Amino acid sequence: MADSPEEIKKAVRTYLIVGGILFLGTILTVLVATYPPFDVGAHGFDKWDCILGLTIATIKATLVASIFMHLNHEKKAIYWLFGSGICAVISLAGLTALALGDPIFDKFFYSGH
Amino acid sequence: MEIPYIVTPRKDTGLFNSKIAIWLFLASEVMLFGGFFSAYVFLRLGADYPWPERTLPVLPGLINTFVLIGSSVTVVFAWASLKMRQWRKFQIFMGITVFCALIFMVLKAIEYNVKFHHQAVRLSDYSIMEGHLGFEMAGDKPVLDHKGNKIEENLIYVETSKLTFNTVRFHKPWVEEFLTEAEHKNSKIVLAADVTAITKEGQKAPEIVAKAGEALSIEFLNRLQKIHLAARSHNGAYRTAALRGEWVKAHAANPGKRDWQIASGVNIDVKALAPKLLDEISTVAFKVDPPTSFDFHPRDIKEADGQSTLRDGTVVDGKLEASPMVFHHVDAIDFQYLVMKAVAKGIDPEVAIQNSWLMKNSPFVQQAWKWHLAEMDKLKKELAVHHREPTHKELYRLGWKDLARMAEEEGGAKISGADQFKEEFFGPNYEARGAETFPEFSLPREQVGFAAKFSPAWNTYYAIYFTITGLHGLHVIGGALVLSYYLFFGKKMYLTNPEWLANRVEIGGLFWHFVDLVWIFVFPILYLM
Repeated sequence: MADSPEEIKKAVRTYLIVGGILFLGTILTVLVATYPPFDVGAHGFDKWDCILGLTIATIKATLVASIFMHLNHEKKAIYWLFGSGICAVISLAGLTALALGDPIFDKFFYSGH
Repeated sequence: MEIPYIVTPRKDTGLFNSKIAIWLFLASEVMLFGGFFSAYVFLRLGADYPWPERTLPVLPGLINTFVLIGSSVTVVFAWASLKMRQWRKFQIFMGITVFCALIFMVLKAIEYNVKFHHQAVRLSDYSIMEGHLGFEMAGDKPVLDHKGNKIEENLIYVETSKLTFNTVRFHKPWVEEFLTEAEHKNSKIVLAADVTAITKEGQKAPEIVAKAGEALSIEFLNRLQKIHLAARSHNGAYRTAALRGEWVKAHAANPGKRDWQIASGVNIDVKALAPKLLDEISTVAFKVDPPTSFDFHPRDIKEADGQSTLRDGTVVDGKLEASPMVFHHVDAIDFQYLVMKAVAKGIDPEVAIQNSWLMKNSPFVQQAWKWHLAEMDKLKKELAVHHREPTHKELYRLGWKDLARMAEEEGGAKISGADQFKEEFFGPNYEARGAETFPEFSLPREQVGFAAKFSPAWNTYYAIYFTITGLHGLHVIGGALVLSYYLFFGKKMYLTNPEWLANRVEIGGLFWHFVDLVWIFVFPILYLM
C-alpha cells in the first residue's frame, strides 16, 4: 500500500483517473438504457441491456474495490475474508437460477420484449 | 488501557486489527446485500404482474450516483491528506464527503415522498389508473372533519344500523372513534339485546350480564372481555382434563398400542361435560340509533352492501353508501396488466382494452387512447426501419409524460423549462399543467380491485425497491455520522497520534467505498432495468 508521501502523491493521480472512469461508466450505463442508438439487442430492455449494464457495473465495482479500497495490493488475510463472502453470495445467488424451473414462472414476461 | 495493534500491524496478519474487523464486517455486508439482490431476481422472475420496468426517475438516481462516486474520491483524498499530515486539506475533503452524503439523502427523501403521495388503483378488470387523490374541497379550502382533520377522498361510508364487536379483538381507538363520531352526529350506540350467560359453575339459569339499552364504552367491552376470558379458561381446563382422562382410559384398555393407533377412539363426552361449562361471550351487538353514516379507511374495512367487516373483527351492518375514489388529478393509465390477463385467455389485447370499464366510461381515457394508438403507429413505423418493435410498456401504458405531451400537442398548457426540470424530481406538476392535462376522475367503489399508494403494499417491485434503497440509505446515514465524527472531533487525535486517526479514516473510508459499491449495482438494477 502507498504509505510514503511520495507514493501517496502518485496514488492521488490514480484516484482521479479512476473517479473519471467511474463517471464515464455511469453515463454510458444511462445512455444504454435511455438513448436509442446505444440500445443493444431488441428495442427497450432485454437480456443484452441487462448483460451490458451489469458488466459496466461490475467493472466499476472492481475499480472501486481494487483502487479505492486498495484490494489490488492487500494482505492475504483480507483476500481470504472478503473472498469467502463473495463466494458465498455467488454460490447462494446462483440458486436463484433454479427459479427458472419454478411452476409460477411466467414465460410471457420473460420473452425478451 | 492501551489498545494493541491499532497503529502497528500484527505480525501474523500483517494488518492493524481494525482493518481485519472492517473487512469481516464488509464480508457480512456483501452477503446481506447479496441476499436482497437474490430476492430481487426471484421476485422479478416470479412476478405474476407486469414488472414495472424503468419506472423510477433517472435524473435523481444519476445525480445520486455522481454524488456517491464523487464522495468516494474525496474520502480517499481526505485519507491521503492525513497521511501527508495536511489537516486543512483533510477538513475540506471530508467536509465535501459529508456534504455529498447530505445531498444523497435529500434526493432520496424527495423520491420517497413523491412515492408515498402517489396513488395507484387496479380496477376489477385489471386496468390501472394512477394519480393524486387530494382532499375534499369547498372552493379553495379543504373540508375538515369533526376533529379538524382534512378528509381524503378515498373513504368508505356505511349507513350503520348495527355494530357487532368481537370482545377479545376489538381495537380501542376505533371504538373511541365510533363514540365521538356518533356523539357528533347526535346518534347513540346502545346494546341491542340483553346479554345473558352462565357465569358460575352449577348455575341453573343464565343471568343477565348486561341489559339492553346500555351505552357502548370501552369499560363495558372490557367487562364482557373479562367474563368471556374467564369462561374460556374455565371451559378449556375442563376440556383438557376430560381429554386427559379419556387418554388414560384408552391406554389402559389397549395395552402396548401406540398413540396413533388408538387416537381415533379417544373422544370427550360433550353432553356429559356441557353442564359444567360456562357461557363464552365472544361477540356483542349494539344498535346505532338512529342509523348513522360512519367513514372507514379502505385498508381497515372489507366492504359489502348489507354487512361489512373491519380488520379487528367488528361487523358493521348497514347500507354501503356511494364512496367513490376521487382522483383530483389522473396522471397515468396502464393497460399492461389487463393485456397480460387477456393474452392468457386468448383474447386480442385491443378488444380487451376497448371492453375495459375505463374505455367505456371515461371520455378522457377514450381520447387519450386514440391519441396513443396514433403515436404507436408512428413509433412502429420508425422502429420497423431498424427491424425493431415497441415494448409492452410503450404499447399499453400512458404515463404522465405521455399525457403531458398529448395536452401540449392539443393546445394545452405548456410549462417552463425550469418547471419541467423540477418535474424530474417531484413528479408531474399538476398546478402548472392544470386539469386539462391531468383531469379529475371519480371512480365508483365497486370498480376498485386493489388500491395503494406507491408503497411496498402496491407490488413486490416497490417492496424490494424500498427494502434495498432503505437499507442502503441507512448505511449512508451511518457512514456519514462516522465520517462527521472524524471531521469534527478528530483534531485532538490528529495532534496526539495522527497515524491512528489516518487508520481510522481509512476504516471509515473503506465502509464509505462499500456504500458506493452497492449503489453502483442498485442504480442500474432498480432504475434502468
